[in-house]
Amino acid sequence: MIALAPGDARYPSRLRDLPHPPDPLFVDGDLAAFDATAIAIVGTRRMSGYGERVARELAIACAEAGVVVVSGLAQGIDTAAHRGALDGRGRTIAVLGESIPLFVATVRGRRRPLVPRIRASGALASEYAAPLSARGWMFARRNATIAALASAVVVVEAPATSGALITAQEARALGRRVYAVPGPLGSAASIGTNALIADGLATALVSADQLLRGSRFAAVRVAPRADPLLDALRDGALGVDELARRLRTAPTLVAARAARLIVRGEVIALPDGRLRRP
Amino acid sequence: MAIAAAVRTSVARVPSCALWGLEAALVTVEVDVANGLPAFSVVGLPDAAVSEARERVRAAVRNSGYEFPLRRVVANLAPAERRKEGSGFDLAIALGVLRATGQLVNDPAALCLGELALDGGVRPVRGVMPRVRGAIGAGVVDVICAEENAAEAAAAGACAVGVATLREAVAHISGEARRAPVDVPPPAQAPRTPVDLADISGHEMPKRALEIAAAGGHSLLLVGPPGTGKTLLARALPGILPPLDPDEAVVASAVHSVAGLVDPLRPLLAARPFRAPHHTASHLALVGGGSPPRPGEVSLAHTGALFLDELPEFSRHVLDTLREPLEEGSITLSRAAAAATYPARVTLVAAMNPCPCGHAGDPVTACTCLPDAIERYHARLSGPLMDRIDLRVHVPRLAYEDLRDEGRERSAVVRERVLAARGRMRARLIGTSRRTNAELTVAEVRTHCRLDDDASALAHDAMRTRSLSARGVHRVLRVARTLADLAGAERIRGDDLALALVLRGAS
Repeated sequence: MIALAPGDARYPSRLRDLPHPPDPLFVDGDLAAFDATAIAIVGTRRMSGYGERVARELAIACAEAGVVVVSGLAQGIDTAAHRGALDGRGRTIAVLGESIPLFVATVRGRRRPLVPRIRASGALASEYAAPLSARGWMFARRNATIAALASAVVVVEAPATSGALITAQEARALGRRVYAVPGPLGSAASIGTNALIADGLATALVSADQLLRGSRFAAVRVAPRADPLLDALRDGALGVDELARRLRTAPTLVAARAARLIVRGEVIALPDGRLRRP
Repeated sequence: MAIAAAVRTSVARVPSCALWGLEAALVTVEVDVANGLPAFSVVGLPDAAVSEARERVRAAVRNSGYEFPLRRVVANLAPAERRKEGSGFDLAIALGVLRATGQLVNDPAALCLGELALDGGVRPVRGVMPRVRGAIGAGVVDVICAEENAAEAAAAGACAVGVATLREAVAHISGEARRAPVDVPPPAQAPRTPVDLADISGHEMPKRALEIAAAGGHSLLLVGPPGTGKTLLARALPGILPPLDPDEAVVASAVHSVAGLVDPLRPLLAARPFRAPHHTASHLALVGGGSPPRPGEVSLAHTGALFLDELPEFSRHVLDTLREPLEEGSITLSRAAAAATYPARVTLVAAMNPCPCGHAGDPVTACTCLPDAIERYHARLSGPLMDRIDLRVHVPRLAYEDLRDEGRERSAVVRERVLAARGRMRARLIGTSRRTNAELTVAEVRTHCRLDDDASALAHDAMRTRSLSARGVHRVLRVARTLADLAGAERIRGDDLALALVLRGAS
């Protein structure tokens, strides 16, 4: 881990757009990741299956176009974005709201295995040094750093009050493009994003192409899935009975098909008996 | 005169029976009355309850109108090297005293079991059925016990006589007033099945999983939001379980007898037990314990089903103690004083919410849990226990269009299929004490779980892509065997294996 002062030649130049750039910025990983074009993909921790899929697909598209995905490595959308970038063999930067050693020592669950992968292909960054325990305001400052590091910010899902809305506000103040992913009406996780679009504060993002064209990058299309069972699992995990209802077929036929997909690694059987895509 | 009496007396011997777990052994109660300072001692490793027999026996003998000798009385419970517990030796000791002092003219030949009241009444004791069963194995035919225990003794196969008082016992043995042995009681009335599968709408996979669990004895986990019918589904299981075989009924009833849970008039269980302990249960309540060790819920559910609702709410330590009984089919409780082994061959059925708030994956109510919280919730269940669950099935919230009435199978129809499948399993396991596919050994899995071409290709792919561990493959094959048995197929077909794989879930 190294500490970069704003005067340092290696300091990420985009951060100098901030009224108070992080001083110093601690970085653990590959400094070159800060030079490439970057897009921030952020959102709520309490995501829906839809949000998880969109964050992942956008991150994969960015990775395949060589764009660095910046996010905050919080639970939910942030994690889905980082993981999508890594699975798409791209680079990703995680800007933490607490000190790097403290986060690395305490993180549990699905995010823990992501830490070494992010370090290997991109970087962990934070402006907090000492083992200072995390406070709410630290995350608000972190969101400004994320906005500054990226050329555009995508809010995938955000409820009415969400830190991701702070990121959007900071991005606007810095003159970064702001996109919001429209969500279903009535879904709590999309109230904030739909409001951004309705108020004209963000552009509705309807495809990865739109995002990457806006970034002057070649259009990349994620190949559509042909299998109806895989298609039904796009927006999150489902049980066999629910799948059978959606596909209008018998549960035994669904199970027979699902087993073959599980064996091929295209479907994962969850410990609660539901199936989902990897 | 005192000297003449001393010459006449000798050592009296009365047969009785001790119990450690379900293991019974004949105990001869020897009573010697000798000259010396008046004293009454019980030797032969008695526990507190047996030692207290001295006070009960002294009072009961006197209050029955007999004379308690003012001499040195020693009762020995032979063989003396194993610890005896409980109040069941009172009757034998009292009869020994009466015989040694000449107040009883015949040697009691029958097995005597019973606690004495101070007024001379005979009270029932726990564990009569396994004791009598053990004694019969050792050649005993007749049993004298409390009236409340007589049916139990008769059910275990003895010629049983029930007595209400010590006087009646003496009169029966001396031939003054012989009592007739009681009839073998009818089995308890089968409990009315509380839930019929036909009462439950939709939920095709959960019902199918219940049928598989009932047929093959595989463990089942139901996961779904609150109020979707997980508990109702579990309660439907007794209605599709096959009836108890006579030998199973005796063992299952014996466990209930040790726990003091049998109906005195109809001590033989008629239906497989269904035990549903609350999630606050301690490990003593669940697997048994205490000193002397008593059977827990997992043993009371022997031959039947153990239902654990709200599985993650059970303490992790308690759930971990279930691993051994689930694997071995029995539980050995070792204490400093004694070790007891109880049978514990159960079909485990568990239910849980998908997340702490219960609404993950629920299309109606949004889940408010953070992803890490859901992960921690699942992590509360230890890996080794989850690894022993063969069937995991999601119980979703039903949409209105699923609440149809047509085409629902009655439990009786499903039970017929379960019975037929059990018959096939039984034929395969003939000559062993095991009955279901869940109990197949690894060697038996190899011989009996033959795959057709379709299934072999699928199994091959699963092994190649490592979507199945070596241990997982045996558990999946056992479930697939049950599916083939339910369909009456000789070989496991591709679809059987596929369904078994999907139901097994992530390992």
